[in-house]
Amino acid sequence: MKTRITQLLGIQYPIIQGGMAWVAEYHLASAVSLAGGLGIIGAGGAPADFVHEQIRRMKEAGDKPFGVNIMLMNPEAEAIARLVVTEGVKVVTTGAGNPAKYMSMWKEAGVKVIPVVASVAMAKMMERAGADAVVAEGTESGGHIGFATTMTLVPQVVDAVKIPVIAAGGIGDGRGLAAAMMLGAEAVQIGTRFVVAKESIVHENYKKKIIGAKDIDSEVTGMSHGHPVRQLRNSMTREYLKLEKAGASFEELEHLTLGALKKAVVEGDVVNGTLMAGQIAGLIQKEQTCREMIEEMMDQAKEAGKQFPLQ
Amino acid sequence: MLERIAEIIREQLNADGIAITMDTSFEKDLEADSLDLFELVMTLEDEYGVEIPSEELEQLTTVGAVVKYLQDKGVEE
Repeated sequence: MKTRITQLLGIQYPIIQGGMAWVAEYHLASAVSLAGGLGIIGAGGAPADFVHEQIRRMKEAGDKPFGVNIMLMNPEAEAIARLVVTEGVKVVTTGAGNPAKYMSMWKEAGVKVIPVVASVAMAKMMERAGADAVVAEGTESGGHIGFATTMTLVPQVVDAVKIPVIAAGGIGDGRGLAAAMMLGAEAVQIGTRFVVAKESIVHENYKKKIIGAKDIDSEVTGMSHGHPVRQLRNSMTREYLKLEKAGASFEELEHLTLGALKKAVVEGDVVNGTLMAGQIAGLIQKEQTCREMIEEMMDQAKEAGKQFPLQ
Repeated sequence: MLERIAEIIREQLNADGIAITMDTSFEKDLEADSLDLFELVMTLEDEYGVEIPSEELEQLTTVGAVVKYLQDKGVEE
């Protein structure tokens, strides 16, 4: 399937893996890239040295295109922004902020820049600042989220900008991919489904929670201080929401979640850890290789397209 | 200029009847988030025919900062 995104990024399939902190390391990212999608190293809150090592490993794994996701609130965001240039990384996606100040440096180095946006105005600003594409991410996504849904956000962003749009949030199979394309997207970003990929280093307990999740297991914390985070409900979210309702301060709440994602991903603490996952977790039923996931999604999307000729 | 900007802000944030002064903070007083600011800046650009690069958004935390920014760009009323 050819779109402006597959051409821009030099990938076979219009599927990009989300830059999930702790999860999106080189095992997963290289598997996605080798299967014809775009694998992404998620810098999250990690130091630049760690990201450097991850990039080195990616290059060893093969010569397929890959990207780095920079979480702009990372204290070392600037060092990582420079690192992608010196390492010749071809694609950068950005989250949690406005990447405008790095844009000219990246453009000069020929890096393709794809900011994650949660509104039409932000998409327009990013286009003007020189972005090559945007990821329009709906509130169905896991992790830090905005408020507009994928169904409403994607067509509005598609209408507002000329650069290609990648849909994210709530897409977990080929039907979702086909639907996103019908909304005008030219690729999709998949997060939660890749968390349970065979190549993903995420702890078995975490994978089991996603595979066992139902549609209603998704919870949003942090609404009160303006930094909502979507995850699967557990003891931690119950405690968090109780405190939040009681008017706890941002610092008090932060204390609960400090290091909690690592606790879940690395140590498998699914009781007190943060189980970031999108609303689509309920649809995800099994562990597969990235290649199986991608090929199944493409077959299913083609099938969905045939079922709806819409004449 | 304050009056017109206040009008635009009220309209953008659906904040009818809210008092807006030079000291009004977008975040603290109006509970506007970064997405609201993107929206507001786009509207101000259309209204005043100036371009506000997005890397300069961080400094625009109060209504007064926006007024001063526009004045520095040569906007008079």
